[in-house]
Amino acid sequence: MAVTVSFPQASAILKPTGGIYMHMRRPVAVLMAACLFAASLFAFQRGYGNIRRLFPEVDDETPPPGAQEKTEFYFARLRYPNVRATGIWAMRGSWTVDYPKADRQFLQGLLRLTRIHANPMERVVDLISDEIFDYPFVYVVEPGHWDLPDAQAKKLREFIDRGGFLMTDDFHGTFEWELFTASLNKAFADRPIVDIEDDDPVFHVLYDLNDRVQVPGIVNYPFQKTYEYDGIEPKWRAWRDPKGRIAIAICFNMDQGDAWEWADNPHYPEKYASQAYRTAINYILYAMTH
Amino acid sequence: MFEFLFNYPLAVYRKGTLVFSSGWPLALLALALVVLAAAVAILFFRHRLPRKRALLLGAIEWSVLAVLLLLLWQPALSVSVLKPQQNVVAVVVDTSQSMALEDRYREARSLFENRLASDLRKRFPLRLYQAGEAPTRIEQLPAEPSARRTDLGAALRQIASESSLMPVGAVVLLTDGADNGGNLGADTIEALRRARIPVHAIGFGSERMASDIEILDADLPARALPSSRLMLAATLRQSGFRGKTARLTVREGERVLGQKDLRLPADGESWRETLPLNAGNAGVKTLEISVQPLEGETNTRNNRVERLVDVRDRKPRILYIEGEPRWEMKFIRRAVEEDSQLDLASLVRTTENRFYRQGIRSPQELERGFPSAVEELFAFQALIIGNVEAGYFTPVQQNLIREFADRRGGGVLFLGGRAALADGGWQRSAAAEMLPVTLPDRKGTFRREPATVELTRAGAESLILRLEDDPEKNAARWKALPYLADYQMTGEPKPGATVLAEAIPGVRLRHPLLVTQNYGRGRVALLATGGTWRWQMALDARDQSHETFWQQLLRWLAGTVEERVTLTTTRQTLFSEEPAVIRAEVRDRNYLPAPGAVVSVHLMGPGGVSETIELAPARGEPGVYEARWRAPRPGAYLAEATAREGLEELGRDTATFRREDGSQEFFRTEQNRELLERLALQTGGRYYRPADAGSLVKEIELSEAGITVRETRPVWNAPAAFLLLAGLKTAGWLVRRRWGAV
Repeated sequence: MAVTVSFPQASAILKPTGGIYMHMRRPVAVLMAACLFAASLFAFQRGYGNIRRLFPEVDDETPPPGAQEKTEFYFARLRYPNVRATGIWAMRGSWTVDYPKADRQFLQGLLRLTRIHANPMERVVDLISDEIFDYPFVYVVEPGHWDLPDAQAKKLREFIDRGGFLMTDDFHGTFEWELFTASLNKAFADRPIVDIEDDDPVFHVLYDLNDRVQVPGIVNYPFQKTYEYDGIEPKWRAWRDPKGRIAIAICFNMDQGDAWEWADNPHYPEKYASQAYRTAINYILYAMTH
Repeated sequence: MFEFLFNYPLAVYRKGTLVFSSGWPLALLALALVVLAAAVAILFFRHRLPRKRALLLGAIEWSVLAVLLLLLWQPALSVSVLKPQQNVVAVVVDTSQSMALEDRYREARSLFENRLASDLRKRFPLRLYQAGEAPTRIEQLPAEPSARRTDLGAALRQIASESSLMPVGAVVLLTDGADNGGNLGADTIEALRRARIPVHAIGFGSERMASDIEILDADLPARALPSSRLMLAATLRQSGFRGKTARLTVREGERVLGQKDLRLPADGESWRETLPLNAGNAGVKTLEISVQPLEGETNTRNNRVERLVDVRDRKPRILYIEGEPRWEMKFIRRAVEEDSQLDLASLVRTTENRFYRQGIRSPQELERGFPSAVEELFAFQALIIGNVEAGYFTPVQQNLIREFADRRGGGVLFLGGRAALADGGWQRSAAAEMLPVTLPDRKGTFRREPATVELTRAGAESLILRLEDDPEKNAARWKALPYLADYQMTGEPKPGATVLAEAIPGVRLRHPLLVTQNYGRGRVALLATGGTWRWQMALDARDQSHETFWQQLLRWLAGTVEERVTLTTTRQTLFSEEPAVIRAEVRDRNYLPAPGAVVSVHLMGPGGVSETIELAPARGEPGVYEARWRAPRPGAYLAEATAREGLEELGRDTATFRREDGSQEFFRTEQNRELLERLALQTGGRYYRPADAGSLVKEIELSEAGITVRETRPVWNAPAAFLLLAGLKTAGWLVRRRWGAV
């Protein structure tokens, strides 16, 4: 969040009068810039703090009841190496965004709304071991920050070629798109990424998702604006296999993860949460039938 | 020697009855023997000889006197003999092409013309016949044997029927016994026995060919889907090449479809070889199955056979229902999508009251879920019942599932799952009877635990599980497959079911995994897992094990399912002018037999043959219609049947067959001595080797057929009698000498 502060007296102070004021110009400019920065930071911290107050992070990794049961479906989250990590993400990695609450809340919805025999606890997989092949559905958050080495990109391609399904989510704007595709194109450049048409089966396998809205992250609170950076238009895109089946579902300029994570929060609009559930449920059912 | 000692051949003693020509009562003979015994006893025991010596000498003396007494009564044999020149002897000579082997025909002709004919003509008028495709009376034997078939039965039946017009004393049959006319059955034997005509068979040719490899049979399915894997099962026999190697080849024209090197087993034994093939594109294929002739083979014409395979461009439809979304369905769908000859429609319950349909032909198809109407369900060729409990289906639907296999003739596959099989209550359902296993009556049979797969012996042979053509490589490949994601305990297989593979979840634990059986007109399979998807996800993307398995399993399930009209011929290959029996099985829209249909068949063949015939209802078989038709010339024929009931066309079908001339003469060419001996024994005749045929005439004289006269032939003057007397007296003298009495 940016706040503009004006200092009318500054112009008077900086008005050149010659003599002593000429050699005071530089220090004053520095002082003004510092004040501007401090004010912005203060505003940001205050805004962010407000969001955090309304949407308090709860990172409870205690296994939920039923986690030990062996089931047909597991929600597998991909762990990946970051491009450049800043702030707290440098220690945790972008892959942990919304983890694990978003996954578990989503799974509660999946269990309640479908007949999928799903495990209530998420699993974490990576592209280093072969464990990923035991989870034909994988979710990756913030792939706009991923930096897949060649070997991992190749493994991801193998995963897809065998029949795996990847759902990407929560990356925004031109810059993050380029970072996303930079890694993806290491192994998937042979086929283009395309927009998913409204009549595609993925939008109708259970719910009819003809009227879709942009699902914002909580950073957009109070959601008068629903986009981040220059990601104004939400894009439901896909990388299709040679048979035309969606193999990688790309949710660009939207944040399903936040919607699942905060679906139980009264400050997060229900319409976004509902669509986020419906979209992911459709994607999972599609993945299990195509 | 026998005849020298006993005056007459053994046959006279076998057929004759012992009589006494003196006319004196037999009771007197008996009395005389008793008195004689008493007199001898008194005489010898009075001499105070040791008891044993007295007994021995007395017995010898009594025997001499007894034999003399018997001879006084003039024993004779009363025997029925044919009246000379008043009974015809029918000589049947086999003039089929098999008689050309080993100079059999030349030997038979020489025997007849140089010896038999003159010997027989001294006592009997002769009628000469040739036995080939049809029996013909001839005056002279042909120079060469050229008949393309051996129908001994037809010749013998003709003679039996002619015997009502003239007295036939006997039949002399000169043949190798390689009958392939199919008429030498019990009714022919019975006709000969009723006419009391003995058949004397002279057998020609080796009873076992010295150096020969023969294809006894080659079994291939008559119909297949394009690109299907077929399995040739060839039965072979060899002699003289034990331990050597020969090559079995299957060709379609010039193209080699499969080859295998055979290590030849012990001489004389038949054995079975299998060879997997690909059916290729659609069309009627003539496949040549051959074994490479080895040097020194006496008969190479039995190294090759042909078979027809009708590869039809059909796309059977399969209906797959899942009770909940699971990975197995995704990967089965993907495997089927790779197969252009299979069409999969699927229903999966996504929520409690919603279905997701795929592969449907219209928005209305399956919109109410699993069909409850016969016509809707029977439009499919196969069903897959996935992880869905029996209670989900209504009783009507459960019965329909059973009828789908039983009446419709479709294929049904049951998969494992947490709501499937026993865990889904199927053991108490109306469909329980069709399952190839007896499900346990308890829950908890489904386990989400890894299990590897092992093929059974039947599975190793099965086309369903053939990932590699070579059996050893196939077994190794199955061993290397990743573990299944889950398995289900199924209970024991039922009698008649075949276990093709087992799931092995741990050491000393194994459960039937893939079990199949025929049920009614259809077939049922059970695959006790929902976790084969791991074969796809855990193996390289280029590996086709998962796809191949599912395509082969579903082709087995759906590929040969018949529709409402099924046209067949009882034999795919006709030999010479043998008629084809064309049969059509016709069912109505409910797949019940349609007894009131009109069935016409259009036949097309080589040289512009084109004819339409009507099939008549087969007696005792409702819904079955048949007709006999003779193919006018050698070649391949196509029959197209159309069945109608009123104005409604019930369906159509095609069948192919071929006529071959002469080829069967070169198979099973060894002398069939067993057949000839049996024929002779059952009719009162005898079997002879050519060298022993000299006594044939005397044997024929003793026939009871035709015009006979009863003769009494004395045996009292047989040299054996006098030798017996001399022998007894000599024995008595020797005994006395030993005791020092002389």
